[in-house]
Amino acid sequence: MSNPKEFPFPPQLLEATNANLPKWLEIIAAKASESLQALSLPTRKTENWKYSSRRLDLEACQPATTTLTLPEDAWLPKDHCAYFTDGVLDSDRSKLPSGGIELIAFSEAEADDIVLIENNMQAYLGDNNYPFTNLNAGKLSDGWLIKIGNKQIIEQPLALVFHNTGAKGSVHPRIIIEAGTLSQATIIEEYTGAAGATALTNAVTQVQLQPEARLTNIRLCMEPESVQHIGLTTVEGKRNSLFESHCVGFGGKLRRHDLVVKLQEEGANTIMNGITITQGEQHFDNHTVIEHVAAHCDSQETYRSMAADESQIVFNGRILIHRDAQKSNANMSNKNLLLSTGAEIDTKPELEIYADDVKCAHGATIGQLDKEALFYLVSRGIGKEEAASMLSMGFINELVQRIPVDDLKSIVLERINRFLKETFAQSK
Amino acid sequence: MSNAGKPVDELIKHEYEHGFVTDIESETFEPGLNEDVIARLSALKKEPEWLLEWRLKAYQFWKTQEEPKWAHVDYPPVDTNEISYYSAPKSQKDKPQSLDDVDPELLRTYEKLGIPLHERAALAGVAVDAVFDSVSIGTTFKKQLADAGVIFCPMSEAVAKYPELVQKYLGSVVPMRDNYYAALNCAVFSEGSFVYIPKGVRCPMELSTYFRINAANTGQFERTLIIADAGSYVSYLEGCTAPMRDENQLHAAVVELVALDDAQIKYSTVQNWYPGDAEGKGGIYNFVTKRGACLGRNSKISWTQVETGSAVTWKYPSCILRGDNSIGEFYSVALTNNYQQADTGTKMIHLGKNTKSTIISKGISAGKSNNAYRGLVRFGPNAEGARNYTQCDSLLIGSECGAHTFPYIESKNKTAIVEHEATTSKVSDEQLFLCRQRGIEPEQAVSMIVNGFCKEVFKELPMEFAVEATKLLEVSLEGSVG
Repeated sequence: MSNPKEFPFPPQLLEATNANLPKWLEIIAAKASESLQALSLPTRKTENWKYSSRRLDLEACQPATTTLTLPEDAWLPKDHCAYFTDGVLDSDRSKLPSGGIELIAFSEAEADDIVLIENNMQAYLGDNNYPFTNLNAGKLSDGWLIKIGNKQIIEQPLALVFHNTGAKGSVHPRIIIEAGTLSQATIIEEYTGAAGATALTNAVTQVQLQPEARLTNIRLCMEPESVQHIGLTTVEGKRNSLFESHCVGFGGKLRRHDLVVKLQEEGANTIMNGITITQGEQHFDNHTVIEHVAAHCDSQETYRSMAADESQIVFNGRILIHRDAQKSNANMSNKNLLLSTGAEIDTKPELEIYADDVKCAHGATIGQLDKEALFYLVSRGIGKEEAASMLSMGFINELVQRIPVDDLKSIVLERINRFLKETFAQSK
Repeated sequence: MSNAGKPVDELIKHEYEHGFVTDIESETFEPGLNEDVIARLSALKKEPEWLLEWRLKAYQFWKTQEEPKWAHVDYPPVDTNEISYYSAPKSQKDKPQSLDDVDPELLRTYEKLGIPLHERAALAGVAVDAVFDSVSIGTTFKKQLADAGVIFCPMSEAVAKYPELVQKYLGSVVPMRDNYYAALNCAVFSEGSFVYIPKGVRCPMELSTYFRINAANTGQFERTLIIADAGSYVSYLEGCTAPMRDENQLHAAVVELVALDDAQIKYSTVQNWYPGDAEGKGGIYNFVTKRGACLGRNSKISWTQVETGSAVTWKYPSCILRGDNSIGEFYSVALTNNYQQADTGTKMIHLGKNTKSTIISKGISAGKSNNAYRGLVRFGPNAEGARNYTQCDSLLIGSECGAHTFPYIESKNKTAIVEHEATTSKVSDEQLFLCRQRGIEPEQAVSMIVNGFCKEVFKELPMEFAVEATKLLEVSLEGSVG
């Protein structure tokens, strides 16, 4: 960036927060705010934001005057859940888990946890590639550290629901997940918002997997159209750990998710699945990075998306294999369906390889529904719209079925069915 | 096996074959770039007013631009003021009328390089335009080509003889504001080939240009323009070499192809500029803009390239598929060894209906080199039924090299279909073991495997080039095994 001051953050986003943070956190937040002054908003020329920068509309992120309510189609778990309304824990609604897994507010953290939080908060400070992570740190009101104890196997998934009412204009949730040695857990992040809210959700989740830990992370982007969403998930996997992620995203004015996974020690594996669906004039941008730092790691990435009407889907998947990461195995597949001529899909599967004894492959396709398959169904008396809808469902269902929580699976299927109905009803 | 028993060390020391310097008196401009230099260059070439104006406009634009930084290459910045923008052998002064008048020293140079300039080269059946530093020293088979109506001459001659054609198409495919190096080339281009194939003519022989950088501290900025009129066909070959020098030299060429209705252009390159020595010292910076426009219906442009030379390569031969049913092809083998860096690939811009493109890219990295494929496939909203197939494979030889893939795929049409596949692997131990078991030396085994890896691309090359390319790969890979 030649002139960082050229595209500064709008002033309403730079105003100091009024939260009562402990001294050590305040120092980090101040540092982040300071570095923000030097960082600029991404533009069309920012490689990372090439296809999405024009969607950014931070000026529009203004506090709403009325209190807005939860949308009906959001998933509302009954127990084992934490509700965050505009970034603040709503203890009436939340039913926090007991035993094995604990939630600690940053402001109440002690001793070793402070060090852990400090290290995580300082990541990406001043990094021009992640200006919004800086914004998140600068605007921190409070964050939560989720600790899964060593050898703890948590059967019931823990749900974190982040609801943006639009009252604050911008919300900056920050979560750190520390999965102990030999632990197993499933954590669901659901992002929702009040219909009509013109707000920004700028979430950062940092995951650390100790040796042999297994974590399943399900991320649902269910906000209404007008809410802009920018999210970053970073993962560091130690020896023989497994990070499994399912990112389900429905489009909106601006949707962006960065998933950065570092396989740091031998035997660390990751499985990443993504479902992205847009319609109308929506947009969704997925950026993933898988870094093979150590040898003998394995990564499997499968992202599928469908774009209808005038919507746009962006995928950028990067696999980076370090010099010492011999015997790496990396596979990436990105398949896209364009359901209408006005829609646009941009994909860029990247490989960056510095080790020679590796097996890496990626595949990407963009296309439409198979004419022969359509003909086959229609010739058997199935209506054209229904046939198209069936085939589209078949394309995406494989990934939906991989979601390990049944409640969620049905919520997602319902949303997809509604999407297909709307899409193919129009094309009549 | 001739190499059997030679210690590996000796194999590594294999040197660049074409690294000699021709000792010839030449007229060279002082290093530096400004409006006067451009005016002098233009005057020397007796160029018309419009061309000088065009050059100056490009220069003004270039001054406002910065060197592009996005490529996956790393090199110290090029000081454009330390380069001389014109160098020509002195004996050129009184323009030789035929090849017999050409300085024998120059002819010997080309003989040494294996380029047949004399008419006896009829056996080879290839018409050659030889470019030495900034000027063309001769074109063979002028008569036969003229009989067929084909125009094949140095660019400066074309500017004088066919100004309307040049003015119409120069800069029409690669506009002067396209990028930093293209703008620089517009301002200072000194030589290149001009080809025009009239309507319905199938060019009777392969056309070829051979580029040679000889003088020190110069840059070569050639500009090639090929126009294939309706229903015509031409196959064009390009080769290049340079002496071994410790300093880096800049080569910033622009190639424009125009294919009208039903025309076909096949453009093949064997790029063998000096790659620098084993420590990464010296070598050519090859920053080239090559683009073809399929303007007419059913036209076809096919790029085939074998890239083995240059210290840094930055090159993306592209096709703009404007005409309905037009076809773009890109076949590439890029090999890097020692400290070479290559960032190469293609752009296929689908604008017309039923346009089709194929991309086959094979990257081979050895030593401490880095080899990147960077490609763009774009379907415009009107590209009904367009189709692309991309395959890019990388082969790694040695644990210190890198192979990268950066494909951009953009689709705005639901009936368009794109498929992209990429793999990265090394020469497997099993393959090597199988060859060794049958008594094949490791060097030869790797060479066999690599040639097999590249076969899909080599079969697209004209025969003479395919043989040369196979040999080049062997030479370039020597010493990287063991």
